[in-house]
Amino acid sequence: MYQIYLFVALLVVGYGFGQLAERRHLKSLIEREKVANALPAIASRFPATDRAYDQQLVSGSVVIASDYFKTFVSGLINLFGGRVTPFESLIDRARREALLRMKADAQRRGAGYVFNVKYETSRIGAGRVPAMEVLAYGTALVPGTAGRDLPGEAVHASADADAAVPVSG
Amino acid sequence: MLLSNLEVLPEQTIVRHLGLVQGSSVRSKHVGRDLGAMFKNLVGGELKGYTELLQDSREEATERLIAQASSLGADAVLNVRYSTSSIASGAAEIFVYGTAVTLAPR
Amino acid sequence: MPPYRSAAEQGDRTVDYENRQPAEGINVTAGHPLRRFAVLVGAAALLVVVLVVITRFAGGAAARLVPFSVEQRVMRSLDIPFGDAPLDDPVRVYLDELAQRLVPSLGLPADMSVIVHYDSADTFNAFATLGGNLLFYRGLLERMPDENALAMVMAHEIAHVLHRDPAAGLGGGVASALVLAAVTGSVGTGAATDGLSRTGLLTSVQFTRRMERQADRVASAALAERYGHLHGAATLFEVIQAQRLPSRRPVWLERFTATHPLDADRIRAIEAHAQELGVPLDGPATPLPAEVVAALRAAAPAAEPD
Repeated sequence: MYQIYLFVALLVVGYGFGQLAERRHLKSLIEREKVANALPAIASRFPATDRAYDQQLVSGSVVIASDYFKTFVSGLINLFGGRVTPFESLIDRARREALLRMKADAQRRGAGYVFNVKYETSRIGAGRVPAMEVLAYGTALVPGTAGRDLPGEAVHASADADAAVPVSG
Repeated sequence: MLLSNLEVLPEQTIVRHLGLVQGSSVRSKHVGRDLGAMFKNLVGGELKGYTELLQDSREEATERLIAQASSLGADAVLNVRYSTSSIASGAAEIFVYGTAVTLAPR
Repeated sequence: MPPYRSAAEQGDRTVDYENRQPAEGINVTAGHPLRRFAVLVGAAALLVVVLVVITRFAGGAAARLVPFSVEQRVMRSLDIPFGDAPLDDPVRVYLDELAQRLVPSLGLPADMSVIVHYDSADTFNAFATLGGNLLFYRGLLERMPDENALAMVMAHEIAHVLHRDPAAGLGGGVASALVLAAVTGSVGTGAATDGLSRTGLLTSVQFTRRMERQADRVASAALAERYGHLHGAATLFEVIQAQRLPSRRPVWLERFTATHPLDADRIRAIEAHAQELGVPLDGPATPLPAEVVAALRAAAPAAEPD
């Protein structure tokens, strides 16, 4: 009997805290995106040549874990097929967060644009608890002297201490 | 909505780049497809069930990409890229992204 | 190929780069997660129940089609040693003779027979298995107050053989286990598989309880015919009830999850059946033969803190 109580308790905790964290993260994402839209990031490969820019590789990544409730529901979805709705919101948040961190990295270097943005998504974590890692990277164009490529400047911005936003769940 | 994985469109002028747009679709197989795949493990060949699943998923992801681009007021999405990743056992995500642009009228 | 001209150089206008915010919620599905959860849990439970019911029925029916003679032949060739008592042990001989007395009242066909075994272990149990093999433990026999109660046990086990319950239980069990494994395997690891397995188990025990109820009915009918009353039947379940440790779980839960019907429910069924058959619930008890009682006591270990 205890097993059933424990299971229900875990589900409730997972659902409650998971939904809370998701809503907070979403709000934070929307706010930060409003600011970050000032720095354009696009997927096109050929950069503007209207002035001299320095190129730097910038990136941002995040790992977001699923909660107990999401994992349970996605397990049942495996029986019937269809959209795995719990993970849709998870991955969307992870990607937006990764892009914002990449832009933060670019902003720190004083970039004007980020070109050739690419995403990499992978599943992390041993078996039972699925966690998604999203990496967003691109080339930042920093206004400077003509065509100088700064060597070895690809600093990886993963744990963004400045942002301090809740991303768990 | 025009989709292309070229940088520019020949014969057309890009007025403005509106930013990144993305579409994603996470789908899971069901028990029937899984059992079918187990049998195919013996004889080999195309897993039609999974091909269909991923095709549906790709179509949905592309539709969402177009929806995002429309909401920006774009005419085309350039530099379209697809990526597939495995989410959990039995679920895969198709992700498509590109740059939304407005074009000059011909 | 003509030299590439960047977007900024196209025509006589500067191309602007900006980041506009696309509409929210395009890449997620609307709808409350709890609603999806409820629908999924309901559908999954229903799927498991339906699959288990179908496979239990089909597996059981298929197993019952296998002739009893085949069952007997297989068990003979396996030669599993049931019980530790030799063929001429007085307790075993008595049990065998009791079985032969009850067989006519139970309507066992001529091509079916039972083989009775006795084990001197302290276990409070008796069971029927494939090939008509019955095993009785000393732990159960020494707690029988009279022959009537023991006859109820014997008749119940022979009824299982008559109904081909051991074979049907095996066939249905294997079939439903295979199907359940295939279904839960695709769900992955974790709480979901656990929940589905439990649902499958709960459905399976409905079948075992039904077999027990039917065996009880046939056995009490045989007892009524043989002794003219159902004294042994009711006392048997009272003895079993006294043997059980009290459960801390609520009654309704026990009734739903146990492999056997509740003792109280079985007693009530006996009382109802007595009325149906028109025989008295109580009557003169036939005592167990003295030498059997003595043999049971002799086999018991020296210190019995009963």
